[in-house]
Amino acid sequence: MTLQELTRPWTAFNYGFLDESAKREIRRRMLKAIAIPGYQVPYASREVPIARGWGTGGLQVTLTLLKPDTVVKVIDQGSDDSVNASSIRKFVSRVGGAAETSDTSEATIIQSRHRIPEEKLREDQVLVLQVPNPEPLRPVEPDMSVAREMHGDADYGQLWLILYEQLVKSGRIMQGSSYPSMVNGRHVMTPSPIPRWDVPKLNQAEHLTILSAGREKRIFAVPPYTSVEPLVFDDVPYRVEDHQDKTCYRSNVSGFFMNELPQEDGSSRYELSDSHFGIKHIQRAEGGSVEIAETYYNNGRME
Amino acid sequence: MAYVATRGGERAIEQAERLFRDDLGVIDRARVDALRNGLPYLIDRVMGEASLYEPDLAALALAQAGGDLYEAVLLLRAYRTTQPRLAVAEPVTQPDLFTMRRISAAFKDIPGGQILGPTLDYSHRLLQVGVLSGRDYRPDAVEPAAVPAPATQPSLAAWQKAQALIPDHPVEAVAPDDIPDVTREPLLFPASRAHKLQSLARADTGGALALGYATMRGYGSVHPTVNELRLAEAPVRLRHPRGTIFSAGRVRVSQTEVISKATTGLELGFSATFGWNEVKVIAAATLDLASNQPNPHPASNEEFVLYHTEPVESSGFCIHFKLPHYVTFQSSLDALRRVKADRKATTTAPKMERQPKKEEAVL
Repeated sequence: MTLQELTRPWTAFNYGFLDESAKREIRRRMLKAIAIPGYQVPYASREVPIARGWGTGGLQVTLTLLKPDTVVKVIDQGSDDSVNASSIRKFVSRVGGAAETSDTSEATIIQSRHRIPEEKLREDQVLVLQVPNPEPLRPVEPDMSVAREMHGDADYGQLWLILYEQLVKSGRIMQGSSYPSMVNGRHVMTPSPIPRWDVPKLNQAEHLTILSAGREKRIFAVPPYTSVEPLVFDDVPYRVEDHQDKTCYRSNVSGFFMNELPQEDGSSRYELSDSHFGIKHIQRAEGGSVEIAETYYNNGRME
Repeated sequence: MAYVATRGGERAIEQAERLFRDDLGVIDRARVDALRNGLPYLIDRVMGEASLYEPDLAALALAQAGGDLYEAVLLLRAYRTTQPRLAVAEPVTQPDLFTMRRISAAFKDIPGGQILGPTLDYSHRLLQVGVLSGRDYRPDAVEPAAVPAPATQPSLAAWQKAQALIPDHPVEAVAPDDIPDVTREPLLFPASRAHKLQSLARADTGGALALGYATMRGYGSVHPTVNELRLAEAPVRLRHPRGTIFSAGRVRVSQTEVISKATTGLELGFSATFGWNEVKVIAAATLDLASNQPNPHPASNEEFVLYHTEPVESSGFCIHFKLPHYVTFQSSLDALRRVKADRKATTTAPKMERQPKKEEAVL
C-alpha cells in the first residue's frame, strides 16, 4: 500500500464546503432538535463564506443535508432572485453540485428567509429557515443564561405579559413577525421572522422544518405533524395580515401574502410576495402548462 | 414575457461585485508581499481575530478585501473553518517565549529586566511628509546594546506567587484532545476559562478596546495595573506520534497580565493573542479581570462582553440590515393600519385604551 492510495486528490474544498466533523456535529444537533420540538440546541456554528446574519445558520444546515441529487430553492422575502437568495443558491450548487430551482414543488430543500411558500410542502421536502434571533424571550430577558433557565421551567409568563400589554396599549396584538409560538405543547419558539400569515403553515405540517441561527449558534426544529400554536388569549383570536382581499397587479391572483408597492400618486399596488408562485400563475394565464400545487390558504382563508 | 419583470436582480448583483473588484484591480503576488512586509501590525491583527496564523493568507485576505478589516477576518475564518484540526501543540509558558519586548508598570525593575523592544510609545508622532515629495524616509540605524538582552525571561507572576501575593491557580490536567476549543464548540455561559480566553484572543480589537476602556475608565470596580506585557515569538512544539517533541516554527504573540487589588490580595487578569497587538491584550486582560467581580457592569459582564466583541458575528449582523426586510415591515404595517382602522370604527374610545395623560392631551 502506498501513501498515494490512502489519500484523495487535493481539492480546494470538501464536498459541501464544511468538513465532515462539522457536518456530523450539525446532523447530531438536528436529530436532537427534532427529538425535542422547539428546544434550542446549541451548536458550534462555523464560519462560512457569507457574513454572519446573512443566513449562515440556514446555510450550514443546507450544506449538511446536501446530496448530489438535491434540488435546492432559496427564498428571501418570498423571492428567489433577491440579493442574498441568489448568492446562497449559487454557493450551494457550486460546492455541492445541487440542482437549482425556483419551483417550490421541484425542490427537495427549501432554504428561506422571512417566508414559507404559499404552495403546500410535502413529506419529502425539508424547509430550512434562517433565524436572526432564535430566543423568543430576548425582548423580556436579554441574558441568555437566564432565558435558558426560563425555558427549562416553561416560564413564559412574561411573554404573555408583553402580548397583553400590546393589547391594552393598542387594542390589538402588535407582534408583526416572529410571533411566539408553542411547539408540541412544551417549548415556545420564535418561528424566525416569518410574518403572522406563515405561522399557521407550520402547524401539523407534512414537512420537516429546521430553524438555524448561525450567529447565535442555536438549532431548533418543528418535526412533521407537530402542533405549533401561536400564543393567543382565549377571547382574542390569532389574526394574520389583512391580505385576503388584495389582488396581485401582475398575476391578478388574490388571497395570498402581498408586497405593497407605493405609487407616486399616493396609492399602493400589490404583488404576490411568493414570486415564483406568481410567475406560475402568469405562465398559466399565458397558456403554458404549469402545475400549481395545493396551497395552505384558499381565498385568503385557512380551513 | 410579463413575468420577467418580477425577476432580474441577479445580473445587477453580479455587476455590483465586479464593480468592487474592478476598483481593486489585479491582485498579484507582489501586492500580497507588499502588504505582508509593509503592514505587519495589520496582518497580526487580522490573524489574531481570525485565529489563523498564516501571514501570507492574511495578506491575501486584506488584498482581496481592499483593506476592509472585517471582510478580511471573515475571509480568513471561512478558510480556516474548512481545515481539519490535526494536532494540538504543547503549552507555551512565559519562560519559553522568545521575548522582544517586556515591560511592567507595577515595578520599577523586575527580575529579568524591562526590555523596551520595538515601540512607538515614546516617539513624537510626526508625519514624514517629505516622503510624498520624493525624499525617502530612512530610519536611523539601531545601535546594538553592549550586552544583548536574554532571549527568554522568567514570569513576573511566578515571582509574585512565590511571595504569596497572588494565589496560585490549581493546575488542571487535560488531555490535548480534550482541550476546549471555541471554534468547535458553542460558547455557553458561565463560560469555561479556556473559552473565555479564546474568545477574547479572537475578539475585535476595537470592540475589546471600547468595552475595556469603559471598564478601566470607571464603569467597573477594577483599577488595572500592567503587571507584565510581552511581545514575543512563541515556539510551536508538536508531539510526534512516536513521542518525541519537535518544533514546527514560531508564531508572533502578545500577552498581558494586569493586576488589581482584591479583598484578600492581588488578582490577575490575563490575555494573549496571535500577533503583536498591545492595545487588544491590555483591554482584554482588563475585561478578563473585571468579569470575575461580583455584579459587573454590562461593559464587564462576561456574556455581554464576549458576545458583543465577536468581530465576524457583530459586523455581519450589523450589515445584514442592508438586506431587504419588506415582509416583516409589511406585517408591522398591517398591524398598525388595523389599529388605526379599529379606532376610527369605534365611535367611543375603546374600553381597553388607556386615558391620555394630561400633557399628551395638551399636545
